[in-house]
Amino acid sequence: MKRSGIRKMGFLFLLVVSITAGSAFADVGPAYALVKCRIVPGTGDIIEDGALLVRDGLITAVGPRQEIPLPADAEVIDGQGKTVYPGLIDAWTSLFLKIPKRPPLGFMQAFEGIPKDQQDDGRHLDYSAFENLQPNPQDRNALHKLGITTVLSVPEIGYISGRSVLINLNREDAAGMVLRNPAALHLQFVAARGVYPTSVMGAMAALRQAAFDAAHYRDSLDRYQRSGKTIKRPRYDPFLEGLIPYALEGGPVVIACLNQEDIKRALRLREEFGLNAVLAGSEEAWRVADMVEAAEVPLIVSVTFQPPFTSIHFSRDEEKKKEAEEEIYPANPGELARRGIPFALTSHGLKKRADFFKQIRKAIAAGLPKEVALEALTIQPARILGVEDVLGSLAPGKIANLVLADGGLFEEKTRIERVFVDGQSFEIEQPEGEKK
Amino acid sequence: MSEKTYRLILSVFLILAPVSAGAQDLFIKDGTLLTVTNGTIAEGDILIRDGRIAVVGSDLKAPSGVRVIDASGRFVMPGLIDSHTHIALTDTNELGAVVTSEVNVRDMVNGEDRRLFNVLTGGVTLIHTMHGSANPIGGQNILMKPKWGRAAEEMIFSAGPGSLKFALGENPKQAIFYPAKARYPKSRMGVKAIIRRELIRAREYMLLWDRYHASVETGESDPRPMPPRRDLRLEPLADLLRGKTWAHVHAYRADEMLEFLDLAREFHFRIGSFEHASEAFKIAKELAAAEVGITCFMENWSYKMETAEGIANNAAFCARHGVTVALNSDLGPQMMFLFNQAGKALRYGGLPEEEALKLVTLNSARILGVDDRLGSLEVGKDGDIAIFNRHPLSAYTRCEITIIEGVVYFDRDAYLETQRREEEKRRKEKKKKDDGKRPGRPAGPMGGGR
Repeated sequence: MKRSGIRKMGFLFLLVVSITAGSAFADVGPAYALVKCRIVPGTGDIIEDGALLVRDGLITAVGPRQEIPLPADAEVIDGQGKTVYPGLIDAWTSLFLKIPKRPPLGFMQAFEGIPKDQQDDGRHLDYSAFENLQPNPQDRNALHKLGITTVLSVPEIGYISGRSVLINLNREDAAGMVLRNPAALHLQFVAARGVYPTSVMGAMAALRQAAFDAAHYRDSLDRYQRSGKTIKRPRYDPFLEGLIPYALEGGPVVIACLNQEDIKRALRLREEFGLNAVLAGSEEAWRVADMVEAAEVPLIVSVTFQPPFTSIHFSRDEEKKKEAEEEIYPANPGELARRGIPFALTSHGLKKRADFFKQIRKAIAAGLPKEVALEALTIQPARILGVEDVLGSLAPGKIANLVLADGGLFEEKTRIERVFVDGQSFEIEQPEGEKK
Repeated sequence: MSEKTYRLILSVFLILAPVSAGAQDLFIKDGTLLTVTNGTIAEGDILIRDGRIAVVGSDLKAPSGVRVIDASGRFVMPGLIDSHTHIALTDTNELGAVVTSEVNVRDMVNGEDRRLFNVLTGGVTLIHTMHGSANPIGGQNILMKPKWGRAAEEMIFSAGPGSLKFALGENPKQAIFYPAKARYPKSRMGVKAIIRRELIRAREYMLLWDRYHASVETGESDPRPMPPRRDLRLEPLADLLRGKTWAHVHAYRADEMLEFLDLAREFHFRIGSFEHASEAFKIAKELAAAEVGITCFMENWSYKMETAEGIANNAAFCARHGVTVALNSDLGPQMMFLFNQAGKALRYGGLPEEEALKLVTLNSARILGVDDRLGSLEVGKDGDIAIFNRHPLSAYTRCEITIIEGVVYFDRDAYLETQRREEEKRRKEKKKKDDGKRPGRPAGPMGGGR
């Protein structure tokens, strides 16, 4: 063969190899080593001078620095004076969802009715948060600033609002963010709009009827099978088909509870139908703490500390209402901690999500231990949402969701400098002179 | 009521809140006892044990360790009953359907409605809080004792038959709302037709379940039958047909009440009471014969077309003709002054004293099916008591102490003392503020120098 021919062959060979090899190497993510930092793993002891290795989106090693050899290809991040925490999980948001704002119905509208196209029967079992996600970097970055790397994105409309999705706030598209879909079915004690049920007692009755109907439907299907299909097949019902996993088979159901009576309603439903329930909101859990403790139900707890309008603390004068907001309601998480009731903390309901840590500090001042607060942002939501095997603490094999802060997480002056999500690094913009 | 007063009520709430047991022991001594069923006992005593009346008499000795209330110079009567109201609920009507028997107002209960305290100041110890009158067949109602400071579920009184709301006349045909909603029914015949249709369905539903239960017991059919679909709307109606629940029917006109009596006969269910019943006097004979009571106002009529033919003494007239008559507030201010309403029945309606008292005690208990527990001062009944400084039917009377199951939930003197102390505290704080700000100006008597 001529020399040029061999060269051409060689070139062709290398081309083929590099293309095929390139596709194999494309799945290998970057590697990082965070060193000299204080590490709060969330399980086990705090490591004062530690190292944490990240590769391909997972944590590969965590421990004292001298015990961990650094890989040659890792990008080294000097964590001197910094603290590393597990990425925080916010278990109740409507992130990336466009929720239409609808003004509440006036008194006369309730009686007169509204046009059909404005009516909403509140049964949105099929609403999938995942299918409605519109991720955007601004909202994502706002959460990173708070150290939040995982959120539950939850539908908001209707007494059966739909199914939520648990997502990691990485750089990818919606599908690339998903950790669990569907994560849970969400219920609220709200009326429908302009159509049955127009009251919360109606919604309660409708939920109970739906659960009974799901059981009856499943019994009909079982009977049909057992008969060897010799009887008439039951009429297909897509709503009941969709409800069965949650009403009858222990699928997770999150019920929004904005006051103590909501909590009681939720516990009644849970008791009657054996639901695998989580109560979200729960700002008045302290008022029914015995009931909640006995029920052993997990909670997702908001920190708005606003007494609901049904509460006696709402009807008081300005001075007493302020006391409720500043001292009484902030004691809620501390009371739950004292009783050993498992709960996650969420920013849901805050007028400004940026106030999340300010509110948590209020709770800490009112008696919430810092360790419990950290658990409520990491391992507890991971447990409640069924992902504690891959998230919620820093351990080899878990997803590399990390927070790098320049101080203790609950100190006022602390800034979050960097987060990792699925092993992807995000440096947080620090505007001049801004305090958290 | 002023803002200040409301603040006070809420302070009282929080003071009482940690008090334990729902039922306690109490000894009331030397009061004029208006027993309602056994006449009046001067300088009488009542012993309450575990929330129940254990002894009624005179010259009794208080057992050691039991709190004593000195009722000398005062009048002691059974706690008043408001047999038709809508307080302590965060919503009253389910407007989305014409028949809503599946809803239960207990799902809307709010134990922190301050009107619960308001009614205590009027000696009320039991309320029948209800679904509204927007639908021919409304929802299930509940009884509550206004145990201010306790959790809502501790207030619910579950003795007695169930209670289901019906409504006839203008409200369910939505005549009062303009422009009227395009909803069937729009006429009285429509209202009746809907009720009748639903009762027929309920009867079929009841028979379906009875048949199922029977076949399961005998174990006869093979394969085992599947239970029928549970219908939460028809179940309370089936309970009505079975006698476990009584109907309470919002109605004004004589003709619609007579028709409803026919309906009750046809389907064999019990009517606890007609609510409001402005024209009951026209059919007093029929109501008495059917043993159906009424719960109404003393002094409100002609406030809408269907009450145009009401009369001033409807309640007293019906009572004199053998009808069980009770009075109610229906959210009106009389919820705090039901005793005045009964007083009017005596003064203007000519009822004897005991009959007038029954209008807000025993008769209310009767129409609610709880007269074995409430409504008079008798051994074995609940220790629900109201103590007045003068005879409760006097225009000058004041309710001073309200007791539920042996626990004092309202004490006028203690309340005023708390108010005085709060005012004193406020005045001192204001004085401090003002003295600090304006050293030259002396503080006025109320603490403000401005």
